[in-house]
Amino acid sequence: MSGKVIKEAIDRKLTREKVIEVKELVKYYGDTIALNKVSFEVYRGEIFSLVGPNGAGKTTTVEILECLRRPSDGVAKVLGYDVLKDENEIKKRIGVMPQNFNTLERLTVKENVELIAKIYGIKSDINEYLELLGLDGVRNKKFHTLSGGMRRRVGICMALVGEPELVFLDEPTTGLDPQARKDVWNVIKQLKKMGKTVFLTTHYMEEVEELCDRASIIVDGRIIHTDRINELILEYGGGIKIIADREAGDADKILRKFTDDVFYERDSIVGRFKSRREAGKAIAELYENECKIRIVEPSMDDVFMNLVGKRIDERGELI
Amino acid sequence: MIDLRSVLALFAAITKSWMRSKTGVFFSFLFPVMLLLVFGTIFGEQEVKYTLYVQNLDTANGKETNLSKFFIEALNSTGAFDVKRLDADVDAFKLANQQSFKVKRVLMIPKGFEQNALNKSISVRIGVITDTFARLMERYGKYINESAKRNITKGQKMLATWENKTETSKAEIILLMDKHDSSYPIIYGILRSVTNAFNNKLIGAEEIVNVTTKPLTNKKLRAADYYLSGYIAAFIMTNGIIGVTSTVSEYRRNGTLKRLAATPLSKTSWIMANVVQQTLLAILLTILMVFLGWLIFNIQTIPNFFAWLLIFIGAITFCSMGMVLGGIIKDVEAATGVGNAIAFPMMFLSGAFWPIEIMPDYLQFVAKLLPLYYFHQGLRSIMTLDNLEGAFTSFLVLGVLAVVFIPLAIKVTKWKELD
Repeated sequence: MSGKVIKEAIDRKLTREKVIEVKELVKYYGDTIALNKVSFEVYRGEIFSLVGPNGAGKTTTVEILECLRRPSDGVAKVLGYDVLKDENEIKKRIGVMPQNFNTLERLTVKENVELIAKIYGIKSDINEYLELLGLDGVRNKKFHTLSGGMRRRVGICMALVGEPELVFLDEPTTGLDPQARKDVWNVIKQLKKMGKTVFLTTHYMEEVEELCDRASIIVDGRIIHTDRINELILEYGGGIKIIADREAGDADKILRKFTDDVFYERDSIVGRFKSRREAGKAIAELYENECKIRIVEPSMDDVFMNLVGKRIDERGELI
Repeated sequence: MIDLRSVLALFAAITKSWMRSKTGVFFSFLFPVMLLLVFGTIFGEQEVKYTLYVQNLDTANGKETNLSKFFIEALNSTGAFDVKRLDADVDAFKLANQQSFKVKRVLMIPKGFEQNALNKSISVRIGVITDTFARLMERYGKYINESAKRNITKGQKMLATWENKTETSKAEIILLMDKHDSSYPIIYGILRSVTNAFNNKLIGAEEIVNVTTKPLTNKKLRAADYYLSGYIAAFIMTNGIIGVTSTVSEYRRNGTLKRLAATPLSKTSWIMANVVQQTLLAILLTILMVFLGWLIFNIQTIPNFFAWLLIFIGAITFCSMGMVLGGIIKDVEAATGVGNAIAFPMMFLSGAFWPIEIMPDYLQFVAKLLPLYYFHQGLRSIMTLDNLEGAFTSFLVLGVLAVVFIPLAIKVTKWKELD
């Protein structure tokens, strides 16, 4: 299959039905502008991410969509309803896990999930949701006794139990250890399989790559770019990197034959290739000369670096 | 905008959460119970008594004279004194001036009390008789025949001789007491009335004017009866103003409120759930206090319909005040602090724990500005005094406050732009 056919297939699968439409969204806190003409769209069935550093406006955007904040200007439509006019219609149809999610701490997992089910008027069995999220073992444990990862799973469970079409997860894995983060990722992948549209915010680039179909990069209240993850990486990833050992004789010479972008990094020599064809040639020649090399595909980290000129550290700060 | 199903679900949830909170249960239930037990035990059975030391020096052959004994019994029978006896060989003046002698109230019955009292009473009686005859002669002399007149005059002369023969020094009792002692006027007053009654008895006069105290209700009232309604009212108030305020601001701080705001639950339903919870708490607290009052202090008060109605209105009013404070004050510590700063002075100034009459005038004025004053006054009026009319102002004041504070709570509670 050619690239074009694949692209069309993906388009068909996503059906392109807009579940979120944001146009020129502006939000002021006093004199400070938090969102500066933010626009993007989210399609049914996809996992969409708003990715950016702390203070970029991710939570503000998400909370406007959840009807928890009022926009100062612009239009935001969720499932076809205007956030300013149809708050109730939206709230009935969405599931939410707020940032730094918390709930009634002295209630058990089951009691918390049941409370939300009752508020949504859902009579169906909540046990299937507890099982889905791997919470059946802790159902009778009080929320405050749970680990961070378990708490987030309870949060996702509470976001799901109202049987929403669209699920908002505001920084679902921030502050979790790597294993807990992977567990949460698996849960989010399940949501997609269930046909839910997922809107998540994060500052972890690997999370975007791992989970998302599309993403908007947001910095300082502005959307820098919105596209499919593959497109972003191919377009802005900065190409393939070939890394060879500094001592590996001819590596420097061979790399320079195919690219001008060669530099040294600690005890390695790195060649960067915009063209995959040139990279292929270089790889073939390096192997023929028995140079030990590593090939590094570009990542969302590179995309962000190339688009914003900075990186985001583990805590979500721009560096 | 009120969804009853959600209100009930949320009410059940926050009630469970409250029951599992040790501090919540402590301050809502155990603290009031502790105070009821402590204060009730100290003041509950109190019929005010003043300690009075009595030294009887009026003895004959080592035995107290009859009259002095009767006098001390009369003091005892007033019920106002806790009479303690001092031995005759103690120097009462010296003792009363000692630093270590705490209760500086000594009543001395000096030697010769009986003798003097009897002599004086004879001389007084003779005086009365001579006087009576003198008046008789003056007014009705013309109707009396001469021989009778002569006999009367003879008798008068004899009486006069006897009167001169009896010693006429008055019987005395001596009260050693500091006039600055706050109970001096009361003690002096009671002593005066005892001696007056004694004087009358000694000269054989009937008491012509008599004061009878009739209790306001048929029930036998003690301090514990009186304060029970005060405790119930005070702790419904603290549950609202301290409990609700801190819980609400804590829910907002830790994100629980945001989680709830993101569901279809309306802000009004959230406030309703809290109000229902506080009402339940007030009912449980009332039942507990009334039960303990009955069990320990034998208080036989059962809240009637109007008492419950006032309790409901009180719970709603103070809960909505708590919702307003919790809604306005962002910081949890500040919210708790402000709640305490309002509730505790209100508790003590409003007269829930003691009658406001014992407070200075300006504090009585302050008390009447406090909602709690109307709550416990009304509740007491209904529960203890069986006087529904007396609670009318309370219903009015608390009702108006509820009508003001519920919409205010809805207005200041944030359901959007939560930080």
